[in-house]
Amino acid sequence: MSVLEVEGCSIRFGGVQAARNVSLRAGEWEIVGVIGPNGAGKTTTFNIITGFYRPDSGRVRFKGRDITKLEVHERTALGMGRTFQNVGLVKSATVRENLLTAQHLEAGYSALAGMVGLPGTFAAERRLRARADALAGILGLGDLLDTRVAGLPYGVLKRVELGAVLATDPDLLLLDEPTSGMGPEEAHTFGATLLELRREFDLTVVMIEHHVPLVAQVCDYVYCLNFGELLAEGTPDAVRSNPEVIRAYLGQEAEEVLQESAPS
Amino acid sequence: MSLEIQPQASPAVEPVADSIAVEVVSPPFRPGLAGWVARGVVMAAVAAVVFLVPTVRGNVEVHIYTQAVIYAIIGLSLNVLLGYTGQISLGHQAFVGIGAFTSAYMVTVQGQPFLAAIGMAMVVGGIQALVLGAVSLRITGLYFALVTLAYGTMAEESLFNIQKLTGGSAGQPAPKPMWFTTDLRYYYLCLAFLTAVVWVDWRLMKTKGGRALAAVRENPRVAATFGTDVKVYTLMAFVVAGVFAGLGGALLAHNDTFVVRDLFNFQLALVFVIMTVVGGLRNRTGVVIGSAFFSLVGYFFDKLFSGGLHVPGIKVLPKEYAPIVIGPMLLLFTLTRHPGGMGQRIRPIQRWLRGGRFSSRDTHDDPTSSGGERVSDVRA
Ligand SMILES: Nc1ncnc2c1ncn2[C@@H]1O[C@H](COP(=O)(O)OP(=O)(O)OP(=O)(O)O)[C@@H](O)[C@H]1O
Ligand SMILES: [Mg+2]
Repeated sequence: MSVLEVEGCSIRFGGVQAARNVSLRAGEWEIVGVIGPNGAGKTTTFNIITGFYRPDSGRVRFKGRDITKLEVHERTALGMGRTFQNVGLVKSATVRENLLTAQHLEAGYSALAGMVGLPGTFAAERRLRARADALAGILGLGDLLDTRVAGLPYGVLKRVELGAVLATDPDLLLLDEPTSGMGPEEAHTFGATLLELRREFDLTVVMIEHHVPLVAQVCDYVYCLNFGELLAEGTPDAVRSNPEVIRAYLGQEAEEVLQESAPS
Repeated sequence: MSLEIQPQASPAVEPVADSIAVEVVSPPFRPGLAGWVARGVVMAAVAAVVFLVPTVRGNVEVHIYTQAVIYAIIGLSLNVLLGYTGQISLGHQAFVGIGAFTSAYMVTVQGQPFLAAIGMAMVVGGIQALVLGAVSLRITGLYFALVTLAYGTMAEESLFNIQKLTGGSAGQPAPKPMWFTTDLRYYYLCLAFLTAVVWVDWRLMKTKGGRALAAVRENPRVAATFGTDVKVYTLMAFVVAGVFAGLGGALLAHNDTFVVRDLFNFQLALVFVIMTVVGGLRNRTGVVIGSAFFSLVGYFFDKLFSGGLHVPGIKVLPKEYAPIVIGPMLLLFTLTRHPGGMGQRIRPIQRWLRGGRFSSRDTHDDPTSSGGERVSDVRA
C-alpha cells in the first residue's frame, strides 16, 4: 500500500505556477528522493503534502485516506513528520525543550489536566523527558540537551530538528534538504544514519536532496521537478542519466556542453 | 509503529557530533551548612513579611496589601497574554471590571454565595476573553492593541452603565464573604487565591500547554508541525487570562466592599500593562513583584511625601498619579536598558535560594537572552 499519494496537484501564486499537475507516491518503507533546480517547486510540493498550502486542484492521500482538506496539525497526528529547509525549531528554547514540545501529541494528558496539575501529569512529564533524552542520545545530542537552540551551529540544528520530528512519532518523514550545509562526507554519513533510523523507527521517507551521491546511495525512487512540473521519475540511476534532467539541472551551461559533445 | 526508544539500541547510528565542542561541566555547586542556614533565614524573612507583617498593621494598610496581592493575580493574567501569546491588551481594566461587577451583582442582587459569585466572574471573564481571542486570530499586533483599547473604552461606556449590574454611578455593594469579613482574613484568602493562580501558571508552563504556547508565539508553522492546533491554543491562552482577570476583579470588588465604575478607566489598563512589563514578562516572580510594587507605590508615595509631592510650580501630585508618573519612567528604562524587568534582577536571588550560586550568569536560563530580546514583541 502506498503511504503517500500526491495526485495531480497544482497551485498558483499570482503569476507563478509553483506546481502543475504534480503526482508522486511513496510506498511503505521506501526512501523517495525529490530533486530539481532552485525554484522547481519542491518545497511547494512539501507544503501541499503537509497542509501549509491548499492545492488549487488535485488530492493528497496518506495511508489511503484523502487528507487534502486536513490542517497541518491533524496531518501530524496521522503520522506525518516534516523538517524545514531553514530549520523548524523553537529557537529560544533548549534542545530538550524542543524535543518535549515536539511530543505534543504523545503527552497522554490534556493541556487542562497539565495546567491544574493532576497527579498523572507529573509522571507523564517524566516519561516525556526520558524519551526526549533517549532520542537525543540516539542522535548524539546528549551533551547539548540544556543548550539553547539559537546558538548552535547549522549542522547541529538540522540534527536537533530531525530529533524533534522523530519525537512526533511519524510514519512518514518529509525531509527538506537535510544535508544542506554539509560536505560530501557528512552527507554520506547522514545517508547511513537515515537508513538506520528508517529501520529503527519504521519510516517511509520522502526527501528533497541536492547531493546526488546521497540520492543514489539511499533512494529507492526519484522524482525530478522543474518549473513546477514533473520532469522525470524512476530509479536514481535512470533519473540521473536522463538528458532532460541533466539539462534542467545544469541549465544553459549543460545544454551547451551536451551540444558540443554530441556527435554531429 | 509506536516509538519506543531503547537508549542502548543505537550502535549503527553513529553520532555526527564530533565537531561539537562539549563544554567542560564542573561539578554542581552545593552550599555548606552555613549557606543553607542563610537561605533558610532569607526565606523565613520573606514569609514573615508576607504572613506576619499584615497582622501588626492597621486595617487601612492591610486593605492595601490585599490589593497588591490581587494586582499580582491581574499581572499574571496579563502575563499570559503579553508574555505567552505576545498579544497586548489595552482593555484589561474591562476584563477586571466585568469580573468585579459580576461578582458584586451575584452576591448583592442575586443573593448568591461568595464562591458561586467568584466562579461566575471567572466564567464571564473567560467568555469575554474567548471572544477577544477569536478576534486575535484574525488581527494581530498594533491593530489588535487598538481593538482591545476600543473594547475597554466601550465597556466603560456601555456595560458599566447597566444600572442593574453596576448600580450606576452609585456603585454596587460587594460584601466580604462569611468567615473572611475582617481585612486580615480577607488578605489571607486572597493570598490563597494567588497561590492557586501561581500554581496553575507554573503547571501550565511546565506541561504541554505552555510549551505549545511558546512554540506558537515564536513560530506557528513549527508549532503546527509538532502537532499543535494553533487556534485552539491561542484561544486557550486568552481564556486562561480572562479567567484570572475575572478572579482578580471579583476579589478586588469584595476587598473594597463596594465597586464603582469610575475605577475601571484606561489609566488602570495602562498601570496593568506597565506593571507586567516592568515586572518582567514570562517571569512569574517578577510579575508578582512588579504588580505588587505598582499597587503599593501610590500609598507609600503618599506616606513618604505626606499627601503629595510638593514641587514648586505644581502644587501637589496626588498619590493616584504616582504609578502613572513612575510607571512610564520605569517602562522606558525596562524597554531600553533592562529587558528582563524586575524578574531579571530577582533571578540570581532565586537561583541562590534554590541552592545555587549567587550569579546572574547562566548558560541557558539567562533572561537577557530569553525574556530579554523578546520584550520587543510587545511593541505591537
Ligand atoms: N507562498 C508563496 N507565494 C508566492 N510564491 C511562492 C510561494 N511559495 C512558493 N512560491 C514560488 O514557487 C516557486 C517554487 O518555490 P519552491 O520554494 O517550491 O522551490 P524549491 O524547489 O523548493 O527551490 P529551492 O531549491 O530553492 O528550495 C518559486 O518561484 C517561489 O517563488
Ligand atoms: Mg525549497
